[in-house]
Formats: sequence, C-alpha cells, structure tokens
Amino acid sequence: MDVKQIDKYRFLIQKSFQKGMLIEGMIYADEELMEAIQRDETIKQVANVATLPGLVGRSLAMPDAHQGYGFAIGGVAAANINDGIVSAGGVGFDINCGVRLMASDFTVDEVKPKLDALLNQMFRDVPCGTGKSGVINLAYNDLDRVLKNGAVWAIENGFGSPEDLEHIEENGKMPSAEPSEVSDRAKERGRDQLGTLGSGNHFAEIQYVVEIYDEESARIFGLRKDQVTILIHSGSRGLGHQVCTDYLDIMQERMPKYGIRVVDKQLACVPIKSTEGQNYLAAMAAAANFAYANRQMIGHWIRQAFEKVMGSGNLKLVYDVPHNIAKFEEHIVENRKMKVLVHRKGATRAFPKHHPEIPKDYYEVGQPVLIPGSMGTCSYVLVGTDRAMKETFGSTCHGAGRAMSRHAAKKNISADELIRQLSQKGIHVKGASKSGLTEEKPEAYKDVSKVVDVVHNAGIALKVAKMVPIGVIKG
Amino acid sequence: MEKRYKILEHPADIGLEAYGASLEEMFVNCALGLINIIAGDVIINNSESLEISISALNIENLLVKWLSEILYLFDAKKFLMSFANIDYLSDTFLRAKLSGEKYNPEKHELKLYVKAATYHKLKIEKRNGIWTCYVYFDV
Repeated sequence: MDVKQIDKYRFLIQKSFQKGMLIEGMIYADEELMEAIQRDETIKQVANVATLPGLVGRSLAMPDAHQGYGFAIGGVAAANINDGIVSAGGVGFDINCGVRLMASDFTVDEVKPKLDALLNQMFRDVPCGTGKSGVINLAYNDLDRVLKNGAVWAIENGFGSPEDLEHIEENGKMPSAEPSEVSDRAKERGRDQLGTLGSGNHFAEIQYVVEIYDEESARIFGLRKDQVTILIHSGSRGLGHQVCTDYLDIMQERMPKYGIRVVDKQLACVPIKSTEGQNYLAAMAAAANFAYANRQMIGHWIRQAFEKVMGSGNLKLVYDVPHNIAKFEEHIVENRKMKVLVHRKGATRAFPKHHPEIPKDYYEVGQPVLIPGSMGTCSYVLVGTDRAMKETFGSTCHGAGRAMSRHAAKKNISADELIRQLSQKGIHVKGASKSGLTEEKPEAYKDVSKVVDVVHNAGIALKVAKMVPIGVIKG
Repeated sequence: MEKRYKILEHPADIGLEAYGASLEEMFVNCALGLINIIAGDVIINNSESLEISISALNIENLLVKWLSEILYLFDAKKFLMSFANIDYLSDTFLRAKLSGEKYNPEKHELKLYVKAATYHKLKIEKRNGIWTCYVYFDV
C-alpha cells in the first residue's frame, strides 16, 4: 500500500506513491475526513510537494486539507535553508490571511439585547465586501511604511495600543520586509484596500465562549464561559494576491537557471538563497505586514463600535495568527537542530510552552491557536504542543475546509432564507453581498469540530475553548 | 460561435472553459468569462478604452498574464472590461484594446472577488477546429 494508515489519525504517503518523491508525506485525518480528502487531488498535491528540492522531514497535510493550487490547502512543508527552495505557491495568493481573537468584559446576556445595534455599527465602521474601498487614503510613502512596519504602523497612527503587539505573531511586524520588492501594481491594488475586511470567507464575528476544555490555559488567555469574544478573519487583500501573482511569474521564468523542474507549474520555486528567493521573501514579509496592519485597524474599529454601543471598547487582544505564510524557524530534524523555511498554506503555527517566540504571559501554557469555523457554526481556541514541534514543524490545522462548490452551495437556498435559518439559531448576519452569503453557508464546509478533534487527538494542538457566534458581518 | 465560455465548479475552485474560432477570440472570451464571474450578467458600457501589451514565456503563461491584467485593472483601477480587440497575438506577446467602464457600486453588483488566475490544470487545445482553454481562479 502506498498510503499506509499509521494510527487512528495518521496516514503516511510512502515514496512509492509517486515517482520523484524525495520525502514522505503525512496526512492527519480520521477515516471520515480521509474519505473527504481522497475525493479530490489533495494526496497527489501532498506527493507533488514532496518532489521539490531541499525539503526536510515530511510533506504534511492537516485534517482540513483540500485541493488547492500546486500545494494543497492545509499543507505544511519545510525547506533546508542551505539547499532548499521557497515557493510563492507554498504561501498562496492571500499572504498572511489570518485570524485575530479579542475578548470582551461582557457576558452574552449583556450583549444580546444590543446585538443588532452593535452589528449595524460594526457594519458601518468596518469596510467590507467586493470592490469596497477603505476609508484610509494613503500617500505613496505611507503605504511603504505600512509594508515595513505592519501593526506597529497601525498603532503609531492611533489604531490600538502598544500592548496589542505582544499578542500578535512576530509582534505584528516581519522585520525582513522590503517594500521596494513589492511591485507598483501590487501597491496600486492594496492602496485603498487597507483596513477592509474583504469578501469570500472573510468575516468578523461576535461570539461567546460555550465550553472550556483546559481551565488553566483558558484563564491565562483571558477566556471564561459565557464571555463575548470577537473573531476577525482577513488577509493582505489585493496587495498580497498581486505579490504572489508577480513572483509566481518570476519564479517560473528563473527556475530553469537553477536547474529546477516541477511537476505542476503552480509549484514554481527558486532556491531560498537566490536573489529571486530573497526578493520574494522580502515582498512576502511586506504583504504579511499589510495584513497585520489590516487586522489591527479592523480590530480598532470594532473596539470603537463596542465603545459606542456597549459603553466600553475594552477588547483585549488574545492573539493574532497568520495561516498563509513562510517563516524561518529552528526545528529538530532527524535529531539535528536546523534552521528551516516553513511554508504554511492553510496551516497555523502551534508552538508549545517555553518556546522563545511566544508571548511572555503565555510562556507557561503555549501559543494560542485560533481556528475559525464556517459562518454560523463554532470556532475554537487551541494551544500549541511539543508533539507539534516534533512532528509538524510546530503546525496544526487552520479551519473547516470547503466541502461544497459555490454553485452547489447556492442551490436550494436563498440568502433571505439562510439569514432566517441562522437567525432561528440565534445568529444575526449582515452581509454586503447576498450571493456571497449563500456560498458561505455552514453546510458548504467540513465540520470544524471534527477537524479540531483530529488535531487534538493526534496531539498537534490541544483544545482550550469553544465559541459559538451570535452575530456575523461579511463581505 | 454560440457559446463563448462555460463556468467550471469544484468544491474549492471556480474555473472557465472558454472557446474561440481563433486564439484571439478564445482569449477575449476567457476574459469576458472572468468578468462574468466577478460581475455577473450586468451590462457594462464602452465609455472608456485603453491599450495594453503583454509579453510572456509561452502561450499558457500569456493566457494567465492576460487574465491577471484584467484582474489588476479591475482591482487597482476599478475598470470593468466589456470587450477587447486583440490586434496582435503570438505565443509570447499580445497587444489589445480594451473597452469598458469604471465600476459603479450603484449600478454593478459584484458577485465574486477573484484573487488570481492560476496554472492549476491550465490547458489550451484545438478541438474539432475550435480553440478551447481551461483555467482556474483562486477566489
């Protein structure tokens, strides 16, 4: 058998699965999710990634994995920095698409009577939807400052407070960012999109904590039962998409110079140490900073909406994580400590307690891992583990994963009917596009609880808390 | 030609199968299909026009760059294309005149935000005398 089930939650893709595989693959799933994974080309894409030069460990896929472009969504691959490659497709088009969680001082019973007013205020204050421009008009030099400084720029310009930075991965700024490596076209796409939620599966949600699984971690993260939380899912908008588009092209053109051949054009890559590789990483970091600034600004406007409607905008930033990114990290591979470039495409960093890169106040428990569900279901806070460090380059899943096409999702239900159904479940929805709304209906996605149970049981992140939504704004 | 393009769907993807009696026509129809994915069947006026030229490594690369250009013009310049006239096309270069108008939220309801055109399962072929391409978008 080329695909060998190792235990209840691990499926090994042996090198014999496909010619040219240089390393093995591993898929984290239970039998039910594996069945869904086998319905599309996810396993083939995991195997394709395993053919890229200079990768170490295994080519990984998380339980929410589904077919992507080149790399599967839900994939993790780490490259040796000496002879390994960097792939723009291994990060994806939405660079630093990620999740931010903020915790309020309110209980669900305190917020419910004012929920509609709160959602309306959020919908007014946070620009969302396709083609929607932001309210920030950036001068040319200002955009470069955003790209260089990320959330630090946002805070210096009045969006949030300095203590937020400690609770953002990389402290909200990738220092390796080089705005000059971002094309003018990418900057043009991004300039009026800073501080916008976007559309598709991006949203901002008012939720409350329904269950605590790990009292100690929850207490340290500042989470308690019945507490209202806010979850933001957004990324680097058109700027990030254009950076990926530009560098896919550059990588494709320059690959032959480095003697690299790939089985799928979308896997185009260049050596990390090459000029093109370094330029991409500098541009990717700049786009990541744009996304950090973006979520910081959206978070600020939601705090203001709470201030106006609830009388207090005290929303503590629990954490902010990217799930589309490539980062240099130290890991132990075959008993040797080495520096690698970890590509996470639809996967979340899940560092354990005592790791030097996590916030001081979370040092004794580990990094919060934020897993958004689909609209109208539930979301989770998990915590990173040592096992993730050993097996998955400190990575875990990122969400539910799509299970139904947009066309199929739109069939049999109108937006008004969906809004009515969700409202019956106690979830109020405000969406900029009715068509977009039905495409994101809960049934269009895999069950996030099943995804989270697999990573919990496999030990590559552990459950801390579960939240359910009461209000959603969508693009 | 009766049908210019067909929209292809998969759980995570949306794509196009576009046709043309010539490669030029197939390129134009593919761009019209992309605009349809973004803006639906709304009528777009020809009040503005602009000229573009694109060079590429090969014909597949040229098709992706052409579609990326249409996306860039929409996302950065708010330009919705209604028609294109390709007056020169080789495997590695094209020159075209685009007609269209600026996106107007009062008039155009946008259906889907497209992030990028991809090389995923990209194919260009001549079938029964008809040029056909398959291309998928990240949305």
